[in-house]
Amino acid sequence: MALWFLRGLRRGVVTTGYPARSDDSAARLPTPPAFRPAALDRSTADRLVAVCPSLALRREADVLVFDVGACTACGRCQDAVPGAAAPSGEFELAATSRAHLVKRIPLLREAGT
Amino acid sequence: MTAVRPGASGTLAGLLGAVSGASLSGIGNAVAVRLPAAELERAAHHLTGAGARLADLFAAGQDPVDLHLIWALDGEDHYLITQAEVTGDQYPPLSDIAPAAFAEECEIYEQFGIRPASGKPLNRVMLPPHAGPDFPRLGRQPPVPPADLHAPHTVGGHAFEFPFGPVRQVGVESLYYGLVTSGEEIVDLYMFTWHKHRGLEWRLRGRTPREASFHVERTEGLSAVGVGWAFAAAVEAALDVTAPAQAQRTRAVALELERLYNHAAATAALCQATGLSIGQAAAEIALERLLRLNAAVFGHRYLFGVVQPGGVRRAPDADAVRGGLHGAHGELRRAADALASTNSFLDRLEAAGIVTGEQARRLGLVGPVARASGQRIDSRADHPAPPYVEHRPAVATRDRGDVLARFQVMHEEAAESVRLIDDLLEAGAGDGTQELPAAAGSGLGWAETPRGEALVFVGLDQDGRITRARLRPASVRNWRGFDDACRSQNVFTDVPIIEASFWLTVAGTAR
Repeated sequence: MALWFLRGLRRGVVTTGYPARSDDSAARLPTPPAFRPAALDRSTADRLVAVCPSLALRREADVLVFDVGACTACGRCQDAVPGAAAPSGEFELAATSRAHLVKRIPLLREAGT
Repeated sequence: MTAVRPGASGTLAGLLGAVSGASLSGIGNAVAVRLPAAELERAAHHLTGAGARLADLFAAGQDPVDLHLIWALDGEDHYLITQAEVTGDQYPPLSDIAPAAFAEECEIYEQFGIRPASGKPLNRVMLPPHAGPDFPRLGRQPPVPPADLHAPHTVGGHAFEFPFGPVRQVGVESLYYGLVTSGEEIVDLYMFTWHKHRGLEWRLRGRTPREASFHVERTEGLSAVGVGWAFAAAVEAALDVTAPAQAQRTRAVALELERLYNHAAATAALCQATGLSIGQAAAEIALERLLRLNAAVFGHRYLFGVVQPGGVRRAPDADAVRGGLHGAHGELRRAADALASTNSFLDRLEAAGIVTGEQARRLGLVGPVARASGQRIDSRADHPAPPYVEHRPAVATRDRGDVLARFQVMHEEAAESVRLIDDLLEAGAGDGTQELPAAAGSGLGWAETPRGEALVFVGLDQDGRITRARLRPASVRNWRGFDDACRSQNVFTDVPIIEASFWLTVAGTAR
């Protein structure tokens, strides 16, 4: 046991300095998408809804409803419509209410443009 | 893994001679023999006698139900599927011949409502007790609910049932143990594994293979690559598609990284179970470094989203592997070496949770659990497909069958995984994927996950959509050996040690 005690002292490092300093590996993690309203119309929104495997997206008239809490950052929406969605880089997800994780994104692109 | 083409073998020729009314075909990459249902018992007798390993049993369709038995011919390099139509609500009993079939007979009863003709009681293994007629299932509801396995609270003499679970501790999957004990020694043990049932096989029906792969990866998150690869290989076999060579090597790099982090996590769990918190911290430092390595190499700590039917979605960052792999494995090896010279740790592992070679063979166990019991079973070596045809693994085995043997097998495998990753990167691992035609077909896929052989069978309709996907992760096989391991002269406090050494998932078996 004494050897384990000494070993623990020698190797007794925490695995990360986060949140006191940023974490190097965070930049490599998949993050939920950020959508560009100007690139979204009903047609592109419907394509995004169709590819989302975790049902995090739905369309209500001219609004894309994005439930960040249901998103697994799989990247399928970014693959399907690259101009309309890109990684947000946001991996610190916190809210005081479940409803705050649901974003409403207006569809600002006019059809045919 | 992919494509072993149908070919003649001694076992197959013997089977065709032993049964009547058989017809031969190819199902994707495996040999299929269709039999009259009345010949199933004779076929099972012949195949078990010839040394074939019953790797899976499942049903498909309705009116009639089509039974599929998958036999691994480990010495002959391929899988054999025997199929039989069941027109009534009973089929010939198979678990009396091949005990490995019992859990699947129970599953088929819950999902399809048909049962073996033996009259043997069938247990509830998959669907929850509240599963009524509207509950999503693959076939029809059984006429009589399956039995809820329970010991009487007084089991003769002074033995009684000690219930434990399903909520056990933070971060551990839901699982109910019924421990039958006389106070300290475990007389019997049974489990309820259905709490994590998600109806995955039901959910996959009607989806395209690419849509389905997202769900398949989540069958058991700790085998995202392995089960995902088995599924992708089944789809590719069904559609006669071959993934690019560099993508096959990428899959293998991801699979070996998956093996490494799982074995590190099992080591940490073993330390926790034996109360060695500093050893646990040492193993978890190695685990964290391996998970960060995964994120650096493939963009995901648990390697989700790497494999897809037809190829891979990402190439590995070779520089990240070279920069971090040996350091992270060195951390794990130093922790394992220190543990291997700590008597208070080894004393808890030696002679605990013994699974004999005969038990492992009869129950069809796979992976490190089987290999630690002297069974030299590794689908990378027994059923090699690219890239393992060129990059053969050395298979680690031990004979004692106890927890210590499993610990040793895991760490020998971890070192071998590092060697394989170096070789695979040297040969060239990249991205690339083949388009999938929208066509009908069926195929079998397999991969050697950290827990052992995973099998997936896929049937597609003419639009290329899934009609039946059978997911059989290694956990499905190995839980059936867990109660035997616990009964072998063990006491209460050995159970978490044995569970850590099996390193199974409940999600994988409940699906």
